[in-house]
Amino acid sequence: MRRRALLTRLLLVTVLLPGPVRAAELSVFAAASLADALGEIAAAYERESGDHAVLNLGASSALARQIQEGAPADLFLSADEEKMNALEKRKLLLPGTRKSVLSNTLVIVVPDDSRLKITGAKDLASPGIRAIALAEPQSVPAGIYAKEYLKKIGIWSKVIDRVVPTENVRAALAAVESGNVDAGVVYKTDAGISKRVKIAYEVPRAEGPVISYPFAVVAGSARPEAARRFLEYLQSPAALAVFRKYGFLVLGG
Amino acid sequence: MRLALRNIRLPLAHFEFQVDVEVTRQVTALFGPSGSGKTTLLDVLAGLRRPASGSIEIEGRTLTDTAAGLHVPVRDRHIGYVPQDGALFPHLSVRGNLLYGRRRDPEGIHTLPVEHVLDVLDLAPLLDRGIGALSGGEKQRVALARALLSSPRLLLLDEPLAALDDELKRRVLAHLQRVRDELRVPMLYVSHSTGEVAALCHEVLILDRGRIVARGEPQDLF
Amino acid sequence: MTAGDWQVVGFTIRVAALATLLILPPGLLVAWCLARLHWPGKSVVETLVALPLVMPPVATGLILLKAVGRRGPIGRLLGELGIDVVFTWRAVVLAMAVMSFPLLVRTARVAFEGVPVRLEQMARTLGAGEVRLFFTVTLPLASRGVLGGLLLSFARALGEFGATILVAGNIPGRTTTLSLAIYQLVQLGRDDQAYRLMAFTVVIAFATVWWSEWFLRRARRP
Repeated sequence: MRRRALLTRLLLVTVLLPGPVRAAELSVFAAASLADALGEIAAAYERESGDHAVLNLGASSALARQIQEGAPADLFLSADEEKMNALEKRKLLLPGTRKSVLSNTLVIVVPDDSRLKITGAKDLASPGIRAIALAEPQSVPAGIYAKEYLKKIGIWSKVIDRVVPTENVRAALAAVESGNVDAGVVYKTDAGISKRVKIAYEVPRAEGPVISYPFAVVAGSARPEAARRFLEYLQSPAALAVFRKYGFLVLGG
Repeated sequence: MRLALRNIRLPLAHFEFQVDVEVTRQVTALFGPSGSGKTTLLDVLAGLRRPASGSIEIEGRTLTDTAAGLHVPVRDRHIGYVPQDGALFPHLSVRGNLLYGRRRDPEGIHTLPVEHVLDVLDLAPLLDRGIGALSGGEKQRVALARALLSSPRLLLLDEPLAALDDELKRRVLAHLQRVRDELRVPMLYVSHSTGEVAALCHEVLILDRGRIVARGEPQDLF
Repeated sequence: MTAGDWQVVGFTIRVAALATLLILPPGLLVAWCLARLHWPGKSVVETLVALPLVMPPVATGLILLKAVGRRGPIGRLLGELGIDVVFTWRAVVLAMAVMSFPLLVRTARVAFEGVPVRLEQMARTLGAGEVRLFFTVTLPLASRGVLGGLLLSFARALGEFGATILVAGNIPGRTTTLSLAIYQLVQLGRDDQAYRLMAFTVVIAFATVWWSEWFLRRARRP
């Protein structure tokens, strides 16, 4: 009897105590471009709430595909609306949790030792450039944005033979860092974290494509409440400050 | 024929091969129990194995001299070899096998005419056959002719009749006698059989545990 | 199958065939050395050759990327000659070649070891030099095993993914092979198209491996 009472008390304590004791482990599927900012925010959140966010980073297209196939995700942080639409259409999002939070800017980067003269995006079509890395332009958001922009300024058909599509935007950045391509089109936030590339040209907000990062809780989440709490935290002033520090633009802010 | 093996030494698994001998007769038999080092002696002569020390000289030409660091490559020794199973090339026809090593002796003395060799060994009807279609006796005749056509200064025969039945043995032996008498090729003939040795050889060397323990003419020894 | 599908299939077969042909001479050389020669440090070479077989393909790809990348030692040299490797079809061939090299070497080595040393020795006594001996005796007798190994390497090359995606990327119409295309199509959610290509790879792989096994089975027969 006494043992049973003790057990009940222990259980109660476990349920009611705040902090690490009732910690949840959250599976967060996030666009690769969010990696560094999100890592910092997740660490701060864990210190504050005890909840541990496991980040699964990759191309939003690949992540959306994994969620469609039943991957155990609690939150999805996409780099474009289209991927989120696809999940919403299949009723894979927890209704009412979707929110577009961030935006970004496209930049043209070159290896830090590059001697290429690039003063505008149209210079990507100049003969000195043999290979341009960008995220896969059919499915990965960063690639779709880059293609959209290059089409808009009329050089897509000229550069298409030089395009080296990569798995995700960070892989495009890595290809530029390694010097294996002459230039790359990535997010400004990616260029900011690398010391081995330099920004040759920043696409003005007005000319570039509309970039937005929608966040949502996944319908199949086993911990929807913990997921909601982290989603809220991601929109807190503290988190948004971190996003801004890395160069993201905060929508509606 | 003058073949001289001087102080040939080669450690083997169970004894040391140790031979010092000079051979002058046209056909000499190497006689002895299995594992006495007969095949080793042939391999050393052909250059397939290098002795630890010693020298080999044939007709005044040095083939091996460990003291001088000399070892004439196998292909330049002009020593023919007929191993026990013939070792014919299975992917070539009889003709392909025969012509594989056809060459003239650079010194001109040992070159045998193709027709003559084919005639002595009665091979003309077999030329277009595959190796798989030959009987044991035919195989040995082809192996013999293949070695002869490469114009050897010495022919090594390693129990060429061992695998044949008595009737075939008798017939191939007759061919070997013709090779001896008509083609006049010097031979070193390894055998277990006193009958073969008596029918073919001028002199016998008896080998035991890597040493020559006796030598003489066949009629004196057997 | 669409025109794009056929392009991918044709490209994959072409680069895999080229890779297999490229590794043939060095593969046979290494296999022959391993089968016939003994030297100190042989086991190191054996291990090195087997490495791509057991290492994660992506790790092999990374090593290649560092070596032939524009800033890598080999890539820099080739760059000065005006030859781009990374993210071109050449990189696909390179990745495939490196990944299938061990398979060719392993099978060819076994095939060479199956050729009786005695036959090679006889060829030498018949005056054949090492090169002639290799092409007229060793290679023909090992040919079934070598062909089996060649087909196996080809099949391995067809399916290469990990190393290819690192050094060659996945550039539609230029470096996209069957495996990369299937992966890409799954990412895009075009499963039906992926299934079509998958069915095709199964057919090619099955036919190649079956044919290879047929050669290897016949090679084991005497």
